[in-house]
Amino acid sequence: MSDRKLVHIVDDEEAIRRSVGFMLKTAGYQVETWSSGQDFLKEVKHVAHGCVLLDVRMPEIDGLAVQGQLTERGVTMPVVIMTGHGDVSTAIRAMKAGAVDFLEKPFEKAALIGAIEESFDRIASTRSASARAADAETILGALTARERDVLEGLAKGLPNKTIAYDLGISPRTVEVHRANLMTKLDVRSLSDALRIAFAAGLGT
Amino acid sequence: MMPDTAQLAEELSLLIDGARHYAIYMLDPLGNVTIWNHGAERLTGWREEEVRGEHYSRFFPADAIAEGEPSAILARAAAAGQLEEEGWLFRKDGSEFLASITVTALYNPDGSLRGFAKVVCDVTERRADEERLRARENLLSSVLSTIPDAMVVIDENGLMVSFSAAAQALFGYSEQETIGRNVSMLMPSPDRERHDGYIRRYLETGEKRIIGTGRIVIGERKDGTTFPMELAIGEAITGRERLFTGFVRDLTERRRTEERLEALQSELIHVARVSAMGTMASTIAHELNQPIAAIANYAEAVRDMLASPAPDDFPLMREALDETAKEALRAGHIVRRLRDFVTRGEVEKTIEPLPGLINEASVLGLMAAREHGVETTFDLDPYASPVFVDRVQIQQVVINLIRNACEAMSNCPERRLTVTTRPDHPGFVRVSVSDTGPGIDPAVADQLFNAFVSTKNEGMGLGLSICRTIVEANGGRIWTEPREGGGSVFNFTLQRAQTEGAS
Repeated sequence: MSDRKLVHIVDDEEAIRRSVGFMLKTAGYQVETWSSGQDFLKEVKHVAHGCVLLDVRMPEIDGLAVQGQLTERGVTMPVVIMTGHGDVSTAIRAMKAGAVDFLEKPFEKAALIGAIEESFDRIASTRSASARAADAETILGALTARERDVLEGLAKGLPNKTIAYDLGISPRTVEVHRANLMTKLDVRSLSDALRIAFAAGLGT
Repeated sequence: MMPDTAQLAEELSLLIDGARHYAIYMLDPLGNVTIWNHGAERLTGWREEEVRGEHYSRFFPADAIAEGEPSAILARAAAAGQLEEEGWLFRKDGSEFLASITVTALYNPDGSLRGFAKVVCDVTERRADEERLRARENLLSSVLSTIPDAMVVIDENGLMVSFSAAAQALFGYSEQETIGRNVSMLMPSPDRERHDGYIRRYLETGEKRIIGTGRIVIGERKDGTTFPMELAIGEAITGRERLFTGFVRDLTERRRTEERLEALQSELIHVARVSAMGTMASTIAHELNQPIAAIANYAEAVRDMLASPAPDDFPLMREALDETAKEALRAGHIVRRLRDFVTRGEVEKTIEPLPGLINEASVLGLMAAREHGVETTFDLDPYASPVFVDRVQIQQVVINLIRNACEAMSNCPERRLTVTTRPDHPGFVRVSVSDTGPGIDPAVADQLFNAFVSTKNEGMGLGLSICRTIVEANGGRIWTEPREGGGSVFNFTLQRAQTEGAS
């Protein structure tokens, strides 16, 4: 058995399976590819443990459903979600369901490797969930109470208008808080901000 | 032997009395009536005994007498020998009539004036007829000058005998420039050279090629420009003369309207296409993202391998770059299909292989199919090809039907889409798109192709009506029927292209 880390790529798109596979193999990983969620779920009991790189938009059964099935069946392999379609609600559902990360196609190699490494960190349990929560909480310490409220709302998947209504402030103010908290957390996208929020246990 | 003088006088008298429509009477040199025939009695109402010896001025109206008309007439007749004129005269009952009067001076052998012979004819009726005729002519010419159609009348030699005001406005020639000249000057070659032959052939054979039916032909204006016109020709035979009347309607305006309508329709079809692409935008973006992501993956992987290049890796890198190029081309292919599809194309029919046309359309149409997890089968008969169509428009129909089918099946356990082509009745091929969806409610099936009828919750009901417009504009028809075993089939026919050596 190889000591190289194994990544399961589940994507209906052959170009993605091949190119991601190539990228990961040349970066020193072992790769197995699956062209549909069913194929993977059927064999999942017999496959070697590794990180699951899962595409959201697939025929028959989509990535989030596959993720749900894995959890139901008690499969503890960490999941990284890929999508060609970066909508926030999908990202939130995936992260809440325990995905390690959420990558938008096309993604940088560094981001993919980072997410996969994070997954293997979790497998190795070198850092407990509580440790990660503590790290995240430290980062969130930079935020004002209002900014934290807004992030909490975003982590619940609420639109700006609803957050504004709940907090009794104007949607315009919500936008300002949102922009400020992104700057303070030093993140470029909302999914990056949410990743930190979920790690800290927000939005649950 | 000389005829008997008395007999001659009697015959003359009979002749004079027999001229029923003419009043013939004689005057002495002073103007008194000497002889009065029956015609005069019938015409004026006076009997001979009432007028004999009376001065003839009593037949004139008062104003004519006041002007000395009766004496003047006699004086002029005496001087000239004969005089013809028209004037109003009285009858016994006081009514007037328009008379044509001929006065001849009669002389004795010694040259002295003996009297006058007067022949009077009532021309009131004739004059009225002439007036009526003139009025009718005026009416006709005013009608002809106001109707929008130009009228040209020619004789059997092709020479123009009438050229209406509308014709003058239409062709730019004046009446003087056209009357008496050959009508062939109003048409371009080759009709110009052949027109005399057309008339000759008709006169010889009597075979009507254009008379009575009307045709669209090309006319030529004075300035040399040509225009489409509708020509209706009638034939009139009067006496021994044969005339041909040509009514000409300028079609330029109507043609323009038709072109505008066509432009509007193709605009609508185009708008529908663009809006369909808008609806598909997220699918298209997703589809484009795949090759782009793959390219990024290969490029980064190869870049990192080059950090410590190992010759063993070269075949691997080459393979990766090969894939990169392939994916880039695939992205380009999608973009090109999209651009072809969305850019404003003129309606243009070409000869197209049907399988190729359908495969290309499927690149865009089946994005949805993949997404909905639809199993697709193509059954394209190579003998049901090629077709004569506007490629992009028919692809629009194919995409629309494929997308509809995919949407219809999205909640069905069995999702199978089949695209079939087959030869149809002679000269046509049939394209069928069948699905295993819930089928179509027979209640709406009939109106399905009408605008604003939709079975979808958020449907505008324009897709299928535009499909019908396109298919019919391409010479085919479109209809739907239930699929055996559930679902529905949408069929449309296309004109088969006539190729060399095709059976």
